[in-house]
Amino acid sequence: MREILVEHLARVEGHGNIRVVVDKENVREVKMEILEGPRFIEKILVGRSIDEAPDIVARICSICPDPHSVACVNAIEKAIGFRPSEQTRVLRELQLISDVISSHALHLFLLALPDFLGYPDAISMVSKYGKEVALGLKVKKAGNVIKEVLTGRSVHGCTVKPGGYTRVPTQEELEKLEKSLAEAMDGARLAVDLFASFDLPEVFREENMFMAVDPGEVYGFSGEHILISNGERRPVENYRLLTNERVVPHSTAKHSYYQGESFMVGALARILLNRGKLKGEAVELADRIWEKLDPKNPLANNLAQALELVYSVERAIELIEWLLDHGIGEPRGEMKIKAGVGVAAVEAPRGILYHFYEVDGEGKIARADIVTPTAQNAANIEKYLRISAQRLLERGVDNLEPHLEMLVRAYDPCISCSAHLVRVVRLNE
Amino acid sequence: MKPKVGFYELTGCAGEMLHILNMEDILIDVFSKIDLVEFRIASSVKRPERVDIAFVEGSVTTEENLEALKSIREKSDVLVAIGDCAVWGGIQASTTGEDWKTLMKEVYGVEENYFRFLGEHKSLSECVKVDYELPGCPIEQDEFVRLFIELLEGIEPKIKDYPVCVECKIKEIPCLIVEKREPCLGPISVGGCKARCPYYGTPCIGCRGPVREEANVAGEVSTLVEKGWRKEDIVKRMELFAKRYKDIEKLVEVKK
Repeated sequence: MREILVEHLARVEGHGNIRVVVDKENVREVKMEILEGPRFIEKILVGRSIDEAPDIVARICSICPDPHSVACVNAIEKAIGFRPSEQTRVLRELQLISDVISSHALHLFLLALPDFLGYPDAISMVSKYGKEVALGLKVKKAGNVIKEVLTGRSVHGCTVKPGGYTRVPTQEELEKLEKSLAEAMDGARLAVDLFASFDLPEVFREENMFMAVDPGEVYGFSGEHILISNGERRPVENYRLLTNERVVPHSTAKHSYYQGESFMVGALARILLNRGKLKGEAVELADRIWEKLDPKNPLANNLAQALELVYSVERAIELIEWLLDHGIGEPRGEMKIKAGVGVAAVEAPRGILYHFYEVDGEGKIARADIVTPTAQNAANIEKYLRISAQRLLERGVDNLEPHLEMLVRAYDPCISCSAHLVRVVRLNE
Repeated sequence: MKPKVGFYELTGCAGEMLHILNMEDILIDVFSKIDLVEFRIASSVKRPERVDIAFVEGSVTTEENLEALKSIREKSDVLVAIGDCAVWGGIQASTTGEDWKTLMKEVYGVEENYFRFLGEHKSLSECVKVDYELPGCPIEQDEFVRLFIELLEGIEPKIKDYPVCVECKIKEIPCLIVEKREPCLGPISVGGCKARCPYYGTPCIGCRGPVREEANVAGEVSTLVEKGWRKEDIVKRMELFAKRYKDIEKLVEVKK
């Protein structure tokens, strides 16, 4: 028996290992270990005012602070029975899109591309692929500039509050954003061309289940229902049922299952479940690359991200034009505080993110529950690790590490995010 | 020869590393100046050798964190703590003093210490000798670049120790405490952020940590209590980022 340990899982957010135990020619055990320290975020929230909550949850993760803060205020508003203005809803959609743009560009150009081109990182690629890296950074920056204008900075913005924003952008700022987005289109298109040109290893192919937020009529990143690839559609209030946690044999890790099966969330799930809601250039691109978006291969997630990048850049421009046409109104509405509970779901770049809050009569958080996309994907990642490790062994591949690392990376995991509910794994040997 | 530089993360959100990667316009230039030894979020490179400069983010939360930090310290000429988690323990350190076993049970549903949790979230300087500290949640990009250049050029860095209020005044932003009765922590929090939050219409939450020399915590509390805020709420607000600032409890006690 031998043990293969991919320590120092690089080019993902957070600390993780992959542990594979091989018995002669069979894979006995596969685990993605989460090595983040406990941070007790849900307990830190308790007893604090609803105004402090979005700032605290943003700090769960630096790559997706915006989905965290938007899900937080959406859920709190539901709890107290407040309906935000149309302007606030448009700004929040724009904020979610800004995170998709910067996170996808980071993941595709800086974290995933080095795998496909055989480099340790994007910096080393510059001498040969300078144009690609430069265009990728331009797209990434376009997302970050939106965050800076809307929330004050690209990591842990400060303007997101229940009721709206503490400051809204000026006309000049919005016009500048439009310009940087227009300049980002070339890089977004390049991402589609690049990732459509790679052949995905067959060893990763297997039947899969998907879940994504139903955005309504137009492709987007928030909604009141969850779509499942088995044809079901459920209200977000069912989030506990949808992310049913179960203890995995031989470990103390709890993973998300639905009706006994692991499932995948993220860009591939969204594109597969909401293709008909795409608009603009993304529609033609989707037609052109559709065969490459293999539902059975999680590595197709990268191409789905690239397609979303094109859509998101175009959609951000459309939302900014809406804001310019309608004129900028009051940043924040008046709220009346009352006790209640609320659940909201948004799409973080790496999948569905649920926030639940109970708010008391004084406007303080009494209880919080957060289910992150990486925690939902964990069981699915392990399923694919197990299947592909076995197949690689059968094909006589001895060096499993790079393949397995590439597979995990395709899910674009945020390990800091998932650490609040994943239990560290112990092997029974 | 280019200086060897490593970027290391302990417990946190990787926000300093990401904020460095978010300097898109100068990223390639910055990295062309150094021999990169480790930067896990962005590179597969990992070399165990000595480094001239180590930038470390995150709190010391697990035994693994502590072992990693000690080994980084041993092999680094200069060790820089970057971000609030490394400088003050981060928001997770606001749980200091609570029964962590109960927290573990409530949040993670386990009684066994699978995380090898140390029981508290420490700053780097509580565990090893730290040469410089760059505060912020996240760090300011311009401050990082300045410090980076100073270290490369052998210039002794100057770390700021004046309150956010100074920068608020320079920007001529009306005082949020006086004008709007907002629970702004600007008077006790260290500046360098160019008063970003007040500029964006929201009170300072103290994410850069307290001014070390003369944070007038008691004054801040009594001013806000006069404005109608409850003392316990103000103290809780202060403790989000500054629970490990030893004087907070002492200074608040005086006024009880």
